[in-house]
Amino acid sequence: MSYLNQPDYVCYVCNCGSLKPISKIYFCRHCSKIRCGYCVCQEVDSHYCPNCMENLPSSEVRLKKNKCSNCFKCPCCFQTLSTRAGHVPLRVAPADAEDSKDVKTTPKKVYYLSCSLCRWTSRDAGIPDQSMATGGWPEQENPHTYRINTLIDYHKILASIEKQQSEKKKFRPKHPYMQIAMFRITSAMVRKHIGHPTKPTTESTDQPSPAVASTEVEELPTDIFTEPVEVTKITTLEQRLQQPDIQTENVNELRPQHRQLLVRRSQRCRVCEHNLCKPDFCSQSAKFKIQLAAFYHVPEVRIVTCEPLRPGKSSELLLKFCNPTQHQTQVVLLPLDTPMTPILTIVDEKEEVKQDNAQQESESPNLLPSIVRQVPVVEETKPIRIIANADVVFPQNCLILPRRDDAAEYDDTGDTHNFQDDPKFVIWRKGNKAVIKLHVTPHENIEENNNRPVVIGFVMQYRYVNTITTLEHKAPQKLDLKVKLYLTIGNIVGSA
Amino acid sequence: MIHMSCLRSKCKGKFTIACNFYVLCFPPASSPGYIAARLRGTTRSVKMLRTYEGIRFFSDKQMVILDIGSAYTKFGYAGEPTPRGIIRTEIKCPDSKELRKIYNYKDTEDLYQLLIEFLHALFFKHVVISPKDARIVILESLLVPTQFRDTLAKVLFRHFEIGSLMLLSTHLATISTLGVNSALVLDVGYKEATLIPIYEGEPILKAWQALPLGGQIVHEYLMKSLREIYPNVNITEKLVEDIKVRTCFVTTLERSAKLETADAPKPPPAVKYPGVKSINIPGEIREKAFEVLWERDNDNLSIPTMILNAIIQCPIDTRRTLAENILLIGGTAMTKGFASRLKSELLTLVKSSHYSEKLKIQTFMFHTAPSKPNYTAWLGGAIFGSVDLPLRCLTKENYLKSDRVPDWVSLIDNQRDESTVCET
Ligand SMILES: [Zn+2]
Ligand SMILES: [Zn+2]
Ligand SMILES: [Zn+2]
Ligand SMILES: [Zn+2]
Repeated sequence: MSYLNQPDYVCYVCNCGSLKPISKIYFCRHCSKIRCGYCVCQEVDSHYCPNCMENLPSSEVRLKKNKCSNCFKCPCCFQTLSTRAGHVPLRVAPADAEDSKDVKTTPKKVYYLSCSLCRWTSRDAGIPDQSMATGGWPEQENPHTYRINTLIDYHKILASIEKQQSEKKKFRPKHPYMQIAMFRITSAMVRKHIGHPTKPTTESTDQPSPAVASTEVEELPTDIFTEPVEVTKITTLEQRLQQPDIQTENVNELRPQHRQLLVRRSQRCRVCEHNLCKPDFCSQSAKFKIQLAAFYHVPEVRIVTCEPLRPGKSSELLLKFCNPTQHQTQVVLLPLDTPMTPILTIVDEKEEVKQDNAQQESESPNLLPSIVRQVPVVEETKPIRIIANADVVFPQNCLILPRRDDAAEYDDTGDTHNFQDDPKFVIWRKGNKAVIKLHVTPHENIEENNNRPVVIGFVMQYRYVNTITTLEHKAPQKLDLKVKLYLTIGNIVGSA
Repeated sequence: MIHMSCLRSKCKGKFTIACNFYVLCFPPASSPGYIAARLRGTTRSVKMLRTYEGIRFFSDKQMVILDIGSAYTKFGYAGEPTPRGIIRTEIKCPDSKELRKIYNYKDTEDLYQLLIEFLHALFFKHVVISPKDARIVILESLLVPTQFRDTLAKVLFRHFEIGSLMLLSTHLATISTLGVNSALVLDVGYKEATLIPIYEGEPILKAWQALPLGGQIVHEYLMKSLREIYPNVNITEKLVEDIKVRTCFVTTLERSAKLETADAPKPPPAVKYPGVKSINIPGEIREKAFEVLWERDNDNLSIPTMILNAIIQCPIDTRRTLAENILLIGGTAMTKGFASRLKSELLTLVKSSHYSEKLKIQTFMFHTAPSKPNYTAWLGGAIFGSVDLPLRCLTKENYLKSDRVPDWVSLIDNQRDESTVCET
């Protein structure tokens, strides 16, 4: 699979306009359309800790503020900390205390946190050792939590008063964005609202004391002009931002932070709302419960070789096609300006009826009428930025590719298929793969040194058998689907 | 209601009164009337609400609070006292692999793609939420270009299919953190310093102030000065940001006045800054880095004049209240010595001939929010977002119907035009 890391020489155009290699696109069997990471709906599927690999249900994730309770990261370099065991140093009894002579102390095992990368330890930071390996590490709380909760409760009261008033007066703020009527609610109104109408002098516990401004501000420490500064003892901004409520300046005051959980995402087709990719719940597993990668449904195209390219001169290009499906397919290459409407071939027991299915183009697959769904939000398609700068002579023949047969991979007895291939067109075939020859002519105006690679584009029409309809007790559909491809075939060598 | 059964299962067997209270009291936010009814209850019930923080969820979808600043993005959930994180407002471009700041976009289309990449990372790596149908609060500066706001709304609704969006003015939301209804809020961030006075819950828009003074201009000064001394060292903005945060400070007004004169004070000690190539930061640079914020520009404007000019543009009966309720927010306002320098500059300026005639103010008082200044605006949003305010939310349905952010959000633009007319 080394080609996965290569630059994308062969790009498929998704229905949203994105150009992606086949390894990065999906094929929605329900819509019979290509989808990609850009145009699918992505959802958080499960949460897991990247260090201990524990899976957490979303309710718990919320309570733990998306952090793993067992794993910590280094406050200095953000690597995962490891728990180290140590022994409490034996207390040396004072020499004159006689009773202490016979006391045998067994060293007690204690635990501390340590970073194997930058050597930070919880002992350096002055955090007491713990007697249990699993933790009990002191948690830092925002020192203002109580005050903030009081403010939140107060704003809730204000909002409910505002609501009541607006209901009474049938009042709607003229400019809700800039006017916040609730800030004009007086304390008397609040008292009345929460049930202390007669005692205006009593301090209500629910109304937070308003913040008091002061003429005093934090002064610049005078020793800043004389004291030398040791940069390594001052935290970086990055370290400070790990603990936004503390933002300490002193390296020794940094505290270990709980490791943040990561998520596994699932992908859903935005048009039909079916899952395209859903990871297995178990975080260690790389398997997927549902995986509709285009890799399993759409013929794959690879560049085999290309003759040296010269402006205005025809060169031979060899392309390898591979049919990944369990059904025979036929591939036809067409010019880029071909209309993209798929052709639906309904398979009847008696005869095949060919008809154009124009409805498919309008992104509303009525192939699945039984599903009631909300109207999808439509996003504009992205304009295609790549421009083909070479002409292709399109072959008249269509290429038939047999179904994938895993057993045949190990069978050297030769092909049992007997295709009447034109040897000028199909130059090699084995199993579900075949190599074809195309003639390409780079445009005259491309020069050798302008670093613009030669790009060709074509529409690949392929026969697709949709077995999803068999689930609905219908005969499988045969569709002639189309996808646009752009291939970067090389650079110009020499001039015309 | 899923979370409730979860809560129930959590305290299986030891059902305390408190747990009971929670499980019984809070239906999902879909019935705000019910919450209001609860709040109309006694003092005791409100108190209980406060005691068990951490389980104060009303709905299955927590409100997400985002403050997308020009340098850093603060993110988290409504009702929480601390943002879940603060990250740089930048993203690695998937095609060019180049790290790009969101606000340095080329055009609307470029911004659209940058925001998609950035918000995708924000939602799945940092906030950790499925954006579809999420309820989101965005804090926005008074100077946010319409192009940015409209594109952001389009990305959120059309690409991420969020459920609702509430746009909150940074300055207005900030006063929620104080429990007062009048304050003069000065935000000194990365690209600019902005100010809006708020009097009795209403912003005095005609008095708004903005200057391109903030972290960026300080970085430019540091880059220029250090490149002169170390022409062979790669002086990046990231490097000067670190040098600024760890070694520089705002000097006193007294010393500042003498800095360029013959009897300049002895500079603070130089700092050895380790790196691939260790460099020495001269004391003069440490002291002078922030001076650009206090120097008058061609129009005689600087950070302290923003405050005084704003007060002058406010009605006379509001001036004293505003001068005695100043709140500084934004990362640059956290610099050592910033607040004390501002105070001495103000006290000196009001005595100057330019202001002494127009302003009869002697004292300036400063607030301290229950937060660090670089996320105070976020906290205001988090307090605000915990309150059910359906009138201020733009729902997906409404957005898709009109395909735009309604006019009332753009109100500030209209007001701004009006006020500039007044000034000239
Ligand atoms: Zn796509
Ligand atoms: Zn863990
Ligand atoms: Zn470390
Ligand atoms: Zn679909």
